[in-house]
Amino acid sequence: MSDRKLPRLLQTPAVLLLLVWMLIPLGMTLYFSFIRYVLNSLRRPEWTSPSLSNWRGFGNYEFVLKSKDFVLAIQNSLFIVCSILFLTVILGILIAVLINKSFPGQGIVRVLLISPFFVMPAVNAVLWINMILDPVLGLQGIAVAGTNDILDGLRQMPVLGGFFSLWPEFEPISFRATQTSAIAVIMMVTWQWTPFAVLIFMTSLQSEDQQQKEAAVLDGASTWSQFRFLTLPHLGRPIAIVVMIQAIFHLSLYAEIEIVSRGNGNKNLPYLIGEFANNNIGAASATGIFAVILANIVAIFLLRMVGKTLME
Amino acid sequence: MGRIVLDQVSKSFGDVEVIPPLDLTIEDGEFAVFVGPSGCGKSTLLRMIAGLEELTSGAIEIDDEDVTSVSPSKRGLAMVFQSYALYPHMTVRKNIGFPLRMEKMDQAEIDKRVETAAQSLNLMDYLDRKPGQLSGGQRQRVAIGRAIVRDPSAFLFDEPLSNLDAALRVGMRLEISEMHERMQTTMIYVTHDQVEAMTMANKIVVLQAGVIEQVGSPLDLYHKPQNVFVAGFIGSPKMNIFSGPEAEKLGAHTIGIRPEHTNVSMTEGTWEGRVGVAEHLGSDTFIHVHDTGLADMITVRITGDISVKHGDKIFLTPQADQIHRFDPNGQRIA
Repeated sequence: MSDRKLPRLLQTPAVLLLLVWMLIPLGMTLYFSFIRYVLNSLRRPEWTSPSLSNWRGFGNYEFVLKSKDFVLAIQNSLFIVCSILFLTVILGILIAVLINKSFPGQGIVRVLLISPFFVMPAVNAVLWINMILDPVLGLQGIAVAGTNDILDGLRQMPVLGGFFSLWPEFEPISFRATQTSAIAVIMMVTWQWTPFAVLIFMTSLQSEDQQQKEAAVLDGASTWSQFRFLTLPHLGRPIAIVVMIQAIFHLSLYAEIEIVSRGNGNKNLPYLIGEFANNNIGAASATGIFAVILANIVAIFLLRMVGKTLME
Repeated sequence: MGRIVLDQVSKSFGDVEVIPPLDLTIEDGEFAVFVGPSGCGKSTLLRMIAGLEELTSGAIEIDDEDVTSVSPSKRGLAMVFQSYALYPHMTVRKNIGFPLRMEKMDQAEIDKRVETAAQSLNLMDYLDRKPGQLSGGQRQRVAIGRAIVRDPSAFLFDEPLSNLDAALRVGMRLEISEMHERMQTTMIYVTHDQVEAMTMANKIVVLQAGVIEQVGSPLDLYHKPQNVFVAGFIGSPKMNIFSGPEAEKLGAHTIGIRPEHTNVSMTEGTWEGRVGVAEHLGSDTFIHVHDTGLADMITVRITGDISVKHGDKIFLTPQADQIHRFDPNGQRIA
């Protein structure tokens, strides 16, 4: 017995910390999700402190399911996460393959490529929405205005002017609008997380067996075939890692959504929780439980899919 | 067909010339072995023939056609790599069929050819396994199978057996020799192991520092080494090579005598020495003799067994017609 006591004793702090950090919040969330609990209510002051006497059963869950934003939040969460995953994996593979060849200035290029990853999410969002995507002051606005100026000039030309006057005037897109705010979030997060994918794919590419490639060259494989039959299967595992880690991170996006449109037309589950938590802690907790379930479904689904298609 | 001619072929990496211009002809159906110590350029030479390495100058002809700037896959050669270079994500069947698939061959024809190759290599039971589930010898056979299905004009082997254990190596050596007898296709085989070279080759090319030291049949090289390097490299145990008064007596700068061409006596002989380590192999005994005044150590080989103890006095007599004589430049004196 004494043989086991010491190891167990030494493990205890870690286990206790895990309990404190994981089980207690989860337990409290579960508890709050089954009771009526609001931060401020003049009409029912007894609801402002958590107590079992305010038991509501699945009422909070029903309330969340029926609220108009819930379906939008789920759809948006999935849309944003899947789009970002798709774009970062594709861009990551392309860039990693491109910079895997040696060229002068390779080191600097690699550092520059990684740097977006070091920008804080909130700063990233502010920079993108104000300096790049803004329809008037951002790069987008300047580019659209510039293009229109050039078109105006072309319309004045003697012969070809008639042709160019058939072209429409370009309209800058407002990325804070209901329809486009999700796109803005996808763009900025893709920009920030592509370096992460590049980094992981690049290290994996460097471990690729060169003799296999030479054998493929002798077997008559084109560059594309080498990529398709050797490099891509070799990247299967790192792709699964990138997808999994990013799925976990991006299901909890918040700062970007807040900064771009304050949730206007573009809520995800964490943002919805945040809105509920302004007053209704019970509903916020129920949404939190839904978020946990969604995260697990997404994780299992993605892992299966990536595993099956790429591991073989 | 598969006659390969190297014409003034050379290779430099930057300022370092690893292979000075060399000429070599490998006839159709020959089993040529490139042998030499590591770093002698034998693998580079093979990779140049395969097209994986560009020539710095010179030309390569296969069947009288200049292939110097032809892409590797169009040269009609198949290569077996030291690390096998199997595609880890494909089954054995797909691995073997890969070159045919790249040729856009009909799937039915691919299946037929793969099965034929697998049958001849005893791989039928493993066709649906991945390389990771195979032993070293099986992986090597898959690599050979991938080469065979292409029906190449010549096979190139780059130290294919060096990752195998000793017992398997002997077995695979026989299999490859057998395969050559059956197919009568040109084969070029790179190895640093002179036993492999001696047992498998029709033609051995001994290389040192990118220079061909001698080209010839195994027995040519054994009986008539053209220089001291070849004399020391071919044969096991190594030939005893020394210079000094004994060599001058025979009108040479350096002389060499193989361990098996020295007679041993406990009572009388030309050279006297003291027994060091004796290695008893049962069929043979190798005796390392010290204090002869000729070289640090002279190795002799005796058929059968002999009872000698460490420190015994021993007499050696070289067989006069088996002494190799070399001039000060290390070249053979006829």
